[in-house]
Amino acid sequence: MTPTYRITRAAYLESLNDFREFIKGHCANAPGINVEILYDVQLAVDEACMNIISHGYRDLDPGSIILDLEFDPDKLTVCLTDFGHSFEPSNAPIADADAPIDELELGGFGLFFIQQSMDKMDYRVTEDGNTMILTKYLRKSVGG
Amino acid sequence: MLKYFRVKQQPEKVVPDLGAISVSLLERDAVLPFTIRQLNNLPENVKQRLYRGLIPPALLTRFGIDPIQWTDAAKEPLVVLHTASNSEKVLITAQATSDPSTEFFALELSDNSLNGIELNLIVLNDPTAPRYSIDQTEAGEPTMFGTLKRNLKAEEQALQAGLAPGQVRAGLGGSRMVFEQIDTFLAMLGHRAYFLEPLTYASAWVFERRGFAYVRGHKLMDDIQREFQPGGALSQCLDDGSPFRKRDQAQTVRGRAWAIHDGILDVLDLRWDKIRMVKQIGRHAGVDTFPQAEY
Repeated sequence: MTPTYRITRAAYLESLNDFREFIKGHCANAPGINVEILYDVQLAVDEACMNIISHGYRDLDPGSIILDLEFDPDKLTVCLTDFGHSFEPSNAPIADADAPIDELELGGFGLFFIQQSMDKMDYRVTEDGNTMILTKYLRKSVGG
Repeated sequence: MLKYFRVKQQPEKVVPDLGAISVSLLERDAVLPFTIRQLNNLPENVKQRLYRGLIPPALLTRFGIDPIQWTDAAKEPLVVLHTASNSEKVLITAQATSDPSTEFFALELSDNSLNGIELNLIVLNDPTAPRYSIDQTEAGEPTMFGTLKRNLKAEEQALQAGLAPGQVRAGLGGSRMVFEQIDTFLAMLGHRAYFLEPLTYASAWVFERRGFAYVRGHKLMDDIQREFQPGGALSQCLDDGSPFRKRDQAQTVRGRAWAIHDGILDVLDLRWDKIRMVKQIGRHAGVDTFPQAEY
């Protein structure tokens, strides 16, 4: 059985540190996870949670964010579930990181950072919430 | 006892009616969820067969009720299924004897506007425990469990007897069993989650322990936890000024719940309102907004 760990916190900024520490704590002794991978995962989760806080629960009394960490020999999977407004990542604007600095627009970097730091991102909306699934392959040859 | 009670208008549907259940529909994709309304349009015996799955058999046998026939040894029917064709609600009640005041179980589920499932009411009462009339004024008017009006005398007695706001009797125990049963029943229908709005802080705390997360109100629960700490705004309002605001109430779930029921959140310009929780079928969210709590 794949080891899975879960933490649930309210969707506001003060919870981000709990998520970071949770990831750090569970990755500390996990085989195949080095500091770079840990940093990438923490960054992606930070950005994904910021999207949930800023957009998912916008104008709502914030509900929960459920974070599941799943360890496989070849990959680390993070599932983030929330119950706010859903969004369609493929329709969301992504910042043009190559644009000159004075032409950069505010916003849009969250998804950019997630895509840059993780190998795969899926998003699904079901009866039981909105779930973003982030995958980091631990051996590049497996995931591409 | 756990209780959820809200006066709600039936939400307008935003998804199409799924039609009647038939053998051909059953043969289709088993992942597609059925609604309460679809079940209610089935013949009576089929409904009873299906809804039987909502009551833990062990709860019925505890009172000498046959879990299949729903009768006692004298063949007295003690479990009642309240459904109607085209209704989007189902209510099941069970009582220990033919006397309605011995009701120990009530559960109401309904479809919501997205054809998801709402848990509208769950009651698990010890029918042998003393009853406190917090649900009606001294003049006999309904209080909606203290949400519209209050019977302060009865509430104070209930508090002293160790009950939480909204409770008319001590709980029966067995909520874990009931929620497992609901999970199984809804999985059979093809649902992945169900929703509720907790009546009180104490209810929300219990639902956390049963695996619920928050759609709305998780931050409010964190705010409550923080402000009940020594020096916090809510803690400072516990000034022994009323039976519902004793100084030691910050330490217990029930104490906090009574103070909140008494309107203590006003000091934060907040109300116990619009809290909404979700239970994912087969999953425990692990929420704990009052760690190491004493009930």
